[in-house]
Amino acid sequence: MNWSLFFDLTVSGLTLGSVYALIALGYSMVYGILKLLNFAHGDVYMIGAFIGWYALHALGGPVSPSVSAWIAVAAMFVAALIGCGLLGVVIERFAYRPLRNAPRIAPLISALGVSFFLQNSALLLFGAAFRNYQSYDLIGSRTFSFGNLYFGTPQILTVSGALVLMVVLTVIVARTTVGKAMRATSYDREAAAMMGIDVDRVISVTFFLGSALAGAAGVMFGLVFGQVYHYMGFIAGLKGFTAAVIGGIGSIPGAMLGGLIVGLGESYSTGYLPQGSTFQNLYVFALLIAVILVRPSGLLGKAAIKKV
Amino acid sequence: MTLGGSDLPSPADRPDEPRVGVDDWVASHESREERKRGLVGVAARMWALLPPVGRLGVFVIPAGFLPLVMSQSNLARYAIYTLVFALMGLGLNVVVGYAGLLDLGYIAFVGFGAYGYGILASSQFGRHWQAELAIPVVALFTAFIGLLVGLPSRRLVGDYLAIVTLFFGQAFVLFVNNANRISFPHFGHVDLTGGSNGLANIDPLNFFGYKVHTTTQYFYVLLAAFALVAAALYFANESRTGRAWRALREDPLAAEVMTVPVNRLKLLAFAFGAGIAGFTGAIYGSVQTGAFPGDYDIGLLITIYAVVILGGTGSIAGVALGAIVINCVPELLRSQQNASWLFYGLILIVILMRVRPWHRCLAFLAGLLAFGFAVHALAAASWPRLTAAHPRGGGSLKGPLEHWVLLPSHPVKIADFAYVVLIAAILLVTRLDGWRRLLALVPTLYLAAMVWENLLIQQTAGATRLILLGALLVGLMNARPQGLLGTPRVEIV
Amino acid sequence: MKKLIALALVASALVATALTVGTTRGQSAVRAGNGSATTLISCGKTRTIGLLAPITGPAASIGILQVKWADFYVRTYNASHKKTKFKLMKADTQLGGANGNAEALKSAQAISGSSKVLGVVGPAGSNEVKGTTAVLKGGGLAWVSGSATNTTLTTDGTRTGYFFRTVPPDSAQSKNVSHYIISTLKLKRVYIIDDQEAYSTGLADEVEQQLKAAGVTTTRDGVSQQQSDFSSLIAKIPRDTQLVYLPWQLPPKGQAFGQQMKTAGRASIKLMGSDGLFDPAFASVGSNVYDSFFPVQPADSAIKAYKKTHGGQGDYFGAPSYVAAQVVGGAIDRSCKNGKATRAEVRGQIRKTNLKKTLLGLPVRFTAGGDLRSGSFGIYQSKNGDFARVG
Repeated sequence: MNWSLFFDLTVSGLTLGSVYALIALGYSMVYGILKLLNFAHGDVYMIGAFIGWYALHALGGPVSPSVSAWIAVAAMFVAALIGCGLLGVVIERFAYRPLRNAPRIAPLISALGVSFFLQNSALLLFGAAFRNYQSYDLIGSRTFSFGNLYFGTPQILTVSGALVLMVVLTVIVARTTVGKAMRATSYDREAAAMMGIDVDRVISVTFFLGSALAGAAGVMFGLVFGQVYHYMGFIAGLKGFTAAVIGGIGSIPGAMLGGLIVGLGESYSTGYLPQGSTFQNLYVFALLIAVILVRPSGLLGKAAIKKV
Repeated sequence: MTLGGSDLPSPADRPDEPRVGVDDWVASHESREERKRGLVGVAARMWALLPPVGRLGVFVIPAGFLPLVMSQSNLARYAIYTLVFALMGLGLNVVVGYAGLLDLGYIAFVGFGAYGYGILASSQFGRHWQAELAIPVVALFTAFIGLLVGLPSRRLVGDYLAIVTLFFGQAFVLFVNNANRISFPHFGHVDLTGGSNGLANIDPLNFFGYKVHTTTQYFYVLLAAFALVAAALYFANESRTGRAWRALREDPLAAEVMTVPVNRLKLLAFAFGAGIAGFTGAIYGSVQTGAFPGDYDIGLLITIYAVVILGGTGSIAGVALGAIVINCVPELLRSQQNASWLFYGLILIVILMRVRPWHRCLAFLAGLLAFGFAVHALAAASWPRLTAAHPRGGGSLKGPLEHWVLLPSHPVKIADFAYVVLIAAILLVTRLDGWRRLLALVPTLYLAAMVWENLLIQQTAGATRLILLGALLVGLMNARPQGLLGTPRVEIV
Repeated sequence: MKKLIALALVASALVATALTVGTTRGQSAVRAGNGSATTLISCGKTRTIGLLAPITGPAASIGILQVKWADFYVRTYNASHKKTKFKLMKADTQLGGANGNAEALKSAQAISGSSKVLGVVGPAGSNEVKGTTAVLKGGGLAWVSGSATNTTLTTDGTRTGYFFRTVPPDSAQSKNVSHYIISTLKLKRVYIIDDQEAYSTGLADEVEQQLKAAGVTTTRDGVSQQQSDFSSLIAKIPRDTQLVYLPWQLPPKGQAFGQQMKTAGRASIKLMGSDGLFDPAFASVGSNVYDSFFPVQPADSAIKAYKKTHGGQGDYFGAPSYVAAQVVGGAIDRSCKNGKATRAEVRGQIRKTNLKKTLLGLPVRFTAGGDLRSGSFGIYQSKNGDFARVG
């Protein structure tokens, strides 16, 4: 048993999994309340990555930033959190709210349209060239090693950052009034409205939180893997959605668990299976099918009882 | 003016009280149809008066004359691809429009058709089957695959089905991309699909020894195929199965309770849609002279979805219309001049149609022009660099535009910024009403012209087209979720 | 039932009429374009060269380099010639884009149907060449590609005399690469990763074959072009691997891979790229990075002039397109000496091209199949952030 390979794969799986978990959270929260698959979520993540890049370059660039490297990183995160949160709110207000009572397929198509729009606006504004975060210039490529186990600063940053954000989100949802309102709205929107909850505001807050998390995920991805380009949201969104479904869509701990499972699954299949890297998407999807066939509502999801 | 609807029970004794057991809104559907006024109403009534064959004829017969008026290359670019998209759309219409199942792996069936036909009629394996044998075989095989893919659909609800079918679509692309390295245990190494190099040199269609060579012949083959499939779908829709599909789409639970065999219908829908896809794929592979993995990926799927949704799910004529719009408009937009005409023309038409009465409209246009000239003059006086460049597209519009629109000499950063501001402005305009809206519209339109001239016009073949498609989808869903020719649905939750 | 029969009869009647009408009109060949090979076109002062390149879409970042170099040729020519000018008719193929080859086909139709185009530069992708062969051949056009390197394009006989390329094929590149790895670097353990595109898998297949034949241990894997996270794959690469071969197309991906190798503690493993990765971005990864590229001469006057007007960027990937435009432009000039030319004539002239010196560092003369007669790749190593020739 090659332990060093196993640990390497686990580390990269956890890193990637944290990114997917953050994306999956956005999907899960929105689906829980609106029963809507927000196809544009992956592109919000992509915009977050670009916001981070521009913030970095506004502060002087990765090689010689005008402020200390850690402040630059913090600024990137804050910019992405706020920027993407606002973007999510705007998208909801103009693309989904008018379709609240339309047949289910209408907001789905609208989401697709928004996704197209964002992707190609990014192409138009930022160009087709890949942008590189050059994080090794920024925060150094200091690798910590315990024996055969290597991990670098960006990985630690990503995993811990994701953990912090998830904890914050859980606290918000479980302890605050807004969180309670969110939970109520996800159970029964009409009843919540009748109990005096401003449903529109709650939905806006949900979108803000979900999109902010996606933006943070984008910056993390850029720091660890280096590259941002206009098309990166598509497959990341798909994987995030897969993670949300595996964990049980509508469930917040489920999204976190699903994200980690997808990340680790991708990593292990690349590492251990023959031609693993070529077919890694396939293995992830196969994992999804397997989970759905065994537990149709996901690992931590509640079996939906349909009232007639 | 019945469209296949039946009569409803008339109220017995009490005419002014709501009827028990009857949904008045649904019952008054026909009278609402009749009340459509103006050109649209006349067209709708005439359309409904035509027998089904007539409706098909309205499309097919004028199309039959196209090769006489269009050049060969135009015929290929516009007509052939429109028909191909329409055929694919018809198949998707069965799954999404008739049965209401969200199938995101549909394009893989088209790929099956293309690759299947390639395996049977190309130099890959040395087999050169004739089309009248190969195409039905391929279509039936693809229908069978559709059946298999539909099997999980019985246990899965809408969104989960989407993901499973998406997986299938991705699996197909990956398989086809790597299938040149498969070693079967008995047969040894077989190059099934040519891998990422694709299956090249697919034979031209060969009907009973007659080879289809020229563009015109392909056009007629596709036209006949379209007529055939449209007719088949029309009959399917009018039959018991079609009614059962409609019931399944509107409310699966109620349908099941009414003893409609829901599972069997879902499988049938999948198989039928896949069969049409395979049929189209075979012809498409022949048109393209090859089948390549990248051809049958998400991109084409989105295009076909746009076709179906734009035209209206569940409507055959809608699919044809959607295909015409989705294919021909980007082709027209290839030349920057055409794109400019289209852009300004559309804005003008929308203004003329939506701003009433006529004196208000004229005042608005005059104000817009004046605003533009004023801003341009101001800019030219204070920052000459803002007006230094020349308009790129335009043709005959070039002269007036040069004095109206701001054309900075280094447009990139300003245009990017203006683009973001424009989006914000458009969103703002949708929230205003009445004269405030008109007032806000003036700078917004001016900004739009500026962004167009400086940024969008350079990317008409690529990013601009997709941006407009995305905006179109969002706007369409907001304004008319049922598409151009679909019927509005009320979803009872 | 009766209606169905009636409709079927109508449909078959339609098909029958169509086929008869179609044949009697005597149109040009299969799925073909409009202009014919033998139509005499009056050359006039401005001649048109068609250009098929991925101007938009996922490959836009490399397509735009080809467009820039072709534009540069036209500009330089127009500046130095008074009596004749060239014009480019650009058409977008969206290589790797949403509708697959459909865009390339439509663009080829547009170019082939234009009555002014006498020769074509492009398309960029090998699959695109295969897809557009019927249309361009049907229109009688010759096309010269600056980047389609798949070996079978010139050996399968379907486009002899029509298709030419100003880059050596994959067979030449793989030979040079394998030779360097085996004889100069003398390595025994190589890991090959392709990016699932036709160009990449073809090259990877050939190199793998040649290395295996020489007794080198090779492992093969692939990534998708959309992938940016290579960490799991890197973890799988054994630490005693000596070289990782990356025949990829997008330099930023190569750069990301190299950086992630360093973070994973595998900085000592050599990396070798192919001509798609020939870019300072990839070279910046470190000094144990190699690449194979045709022997571009940075000292060439054309390259110097290009760099001057393009902010110091060499954009070498597009340089063969400049040579392709040179070939097509030269052939058109020679055919138009008497004021009129046919596409067939231009084709013949392209076949006879004899450029003794080009910016590629190679003379340009074509074999019967359309390949360069003397085409070999040079091996470069990264030195001070750019590539320098070592083999």
